[in-house]
Amino acid sequence: MNNENTISQTHTAPPLKGRAGGGSACAGAAATQYLDIFDSNRALLCADGLEPMNAHRDAAREALAHGGFPSKKVERYRYTDVEAAFAPNYGVNLSRLKFGINARDLFRCNVPGLSTSMYFMENDRFRSDLQPRTQLPEGVLVMSLADACTTYRELVEQHYAQLAIVGDDAIVALNTMLCQNGLFIYVPAGVQMVKPVQVINVLRSTVPLMMNRRVLIIAEAGAKAQLLFCDHAQDDIDFLATQVTEVYVGVGAQVEIYELEETHAKSHRFAHLQGDVAEGGTLSHYAVTLTCGETRNQTDVRLSAPHATANLYGCAIADAQQHIENNTLIVHHASECESKELYKYVVDDQSVGAFAGRILVEKGAQQTVSNETNANLVCTREARMYTQPMLEIYADDVQCSHGSTVGQLNDDALFYMRQRGISEDDARRLLKQAFATEVINHITLEALRDRLHHLVDKRFRGELGNCQHCIAPLPTSHKIVK
Amino acid sequence: MLEIHNLHATVGDKEILKGIDLTINDGEIHALMGQNGAGKSTLSNVLVGNPAYTVTEGTVTFNGRDLLAMKPEERAREGVFLSFQQPVEIPGVSMMNFLKVAVAARREHLGLEPMKGNEFLQMVRERRKLVELDSKLTNRSVNEGFSGGERKRNEIFQMAVLEPTFCILDETDSGLDVDALRIVAEGFNKLRKPETSAMVITHYQRLLDYIRPDVVHVLRQGHIVKTGGPQLAAEIENRGFDWIE
Repeated sequence: MNNENTISQTHTAPPLKGRAGGGSACAGAAATQYLDIFDSNRALLCADGLEPMNAHRDAAREALAHGGFPSKKVERYRYTDVEAAFAPNYGVNLSRLKFGINARDLFRCNVPGLSTSMYFMENDRFRSDLQPRTQLPEGVLVMSLADACTTYRELVEQHYAQLAIVGDDAIVALNTMLCQNGLFIYVPAGVQMVKPVQVINVLRSTVPLMMNRRVLIIAEAGAKAQLLFCDHAQDDIDFLATQVTEVYVGVGAQVEIYELEETHAKSHRFAHLQGDVAEGGTLSHYAVTLTCGETRNQTDVRLSAPHATANLYGCAIADAQQHIENNTLIVHHASECESKELYKYVVDDQSVGAFAGRILVEKGAQQTVSNETNANLVCTREARMYTQPMLEIYADDVQCSHGSTVGQLNDDALFYMRQRGISEDDARRLLKQAFATEVINHITLEALRDRLHHLVDKRFRGELGNCQHCIAPLPTSHKIVK
Repeated sequence: MLEIHNLHATVGDKEILKGIDLTINDGEIHALMGQNGAGKSTLSNVLVGNPAYTVTEGTVTFNGRDLLAMKPEERAREGVFLSFQQPVEIPGVSMMNFLKVAVAARREHLGLEPMKGNEFLQMVRERRKLVELDSKLTNRSVNEGFSGGERKRNEIFQMAVLEPTFCILDETDSGLDVDALRIVAEGFNKLRKPETSAMVITHYQRLLDYIRPDVVHVLRQGHIVKTGGPQLAAEIENRGFDWIE
């Protein structure tokens, strides 16, 4: 594929000279190269029809130019080196070159037994041409964000960049400045979706690629939706992906989001989710990282009205030189809200895991019930786990707990199993799987839960390097729209 | 079947076994008695290869092979089974999955075909009944939430499933009430094939009323100080250990 000429390089100007294209003195070298890209491709980025997105680009640029990328001295970024991740030379697909996914690749993450409405994204591009055969309930929208900017302009304008604030975070700013497309999901009031929506994200490229994906999810009052995102990396290429997801959970609405990452050692993922939950609403988020290179998931939820609930679950499996961080913030803004967090890590070889979870109970958020747990299994002397559960309470009538554990495999259990003829490797695998199982058991989608048990088992057997094994027969439930 | 010669073993810096000689022939049951700290459990742990124990001298051959050179799992596949004194809880590992992996490993070692799913389930069901183990327990994680008695029963149940040729019962009677003791012991007797040998570690005569030993050994301070027939156990029950020189 001859695309070297059409993919813009981040190092268009010698980046280390800095200040090119008006980059601010405050922005480091890594940030400057992205500012340069923005400045020299402004016309391409601010394309017609993207007005709701374009409206925030300048403010985003300013925020990034002013602050640059956070160093490890910044509290929320102390466990992941952003500057290092963003410094290399990546292509950015500003001219929207299409890579194309063949049908066989498309269905390789099919979850058998789970009937979903399946959609595809190639990097940051929503594949409008691949639609599930089954109809969505009336009024439900699953579509390209770029298209929604035109078709549902008002909706996008009202919600876009309202939860993910460019001044708060450099990666949110970068994403807002450069993103060109993504996904828009809208569930109207009272619509309770029976079938989950599954979105398969496939990273594809022939050159090292950076992409900025944006997701906007709106569930109106009383709506119910289950959303499953499966991230894959197709090519043996360095990928750097930022993803900013904004989720609005309306009064009494229930939204479950499952994010399953199965990428590879050359993938770098910086994901931000910003959720807002209205009265009586529930947002449940599951972050399952099976394979990756470097992943940082930041998940922030604000419980803004009484009786709102947030459930955050995470399961991270790391080995080799992988790096996985989950960084969460739950803000109890209103009274009588509930939150629960459970994150479990298995770190092996020389991998690094990090968990930082802050629960902020604001003044007046009385009768808050909150529980936060992070449990970790560190399998070797070289593996590292950082854990930081935080509870900050400004109300006086609350029920809150937080804690973390770091431990090794139980020697007595290992020996017991070996005495029954189970090899040491199998015994270790069974124990690791048993440890991770607790999180998977919280998954309410039964077919997905079963599938994840299977995938976790494969992961610990070392059979998951690429996902060939979970190729299901080509489903007939899809049509290709020309 | 099992030949132990001049076996010395340590835990940490402390020498516990100071030269054990013991031969167990096919089909024989040997009882091992002695006061706390005499080295009974150390001997059983050394035989199954617990890495917390170190053999400093001596040999153990099992069916002509060097047992001490084998990994714990290899010993188990060869047919050595230990009914643990304190079976460990393994949350998250289901009994069925655990047994499936263990049975598959043993069968592969013996050159047998892998068991089919329904065949396995039926076998498990039959063996479970032998020790009157509730089916609810086999649906749980290994030993999780099991009472002391249920754990012991579960040990004998696993023995039934794995069909070892040499069994070590390490204080299987401790923590069992009279009825449970009878069930466990009768289960053991029903399962036992004529050629199966066993080493039964106990403080009391009670278990030996059900599982009749051919030979009784008394262990003291890491040595076997007396060996006799079944009447030796009865004598210890009456007179204690102090009279033994």
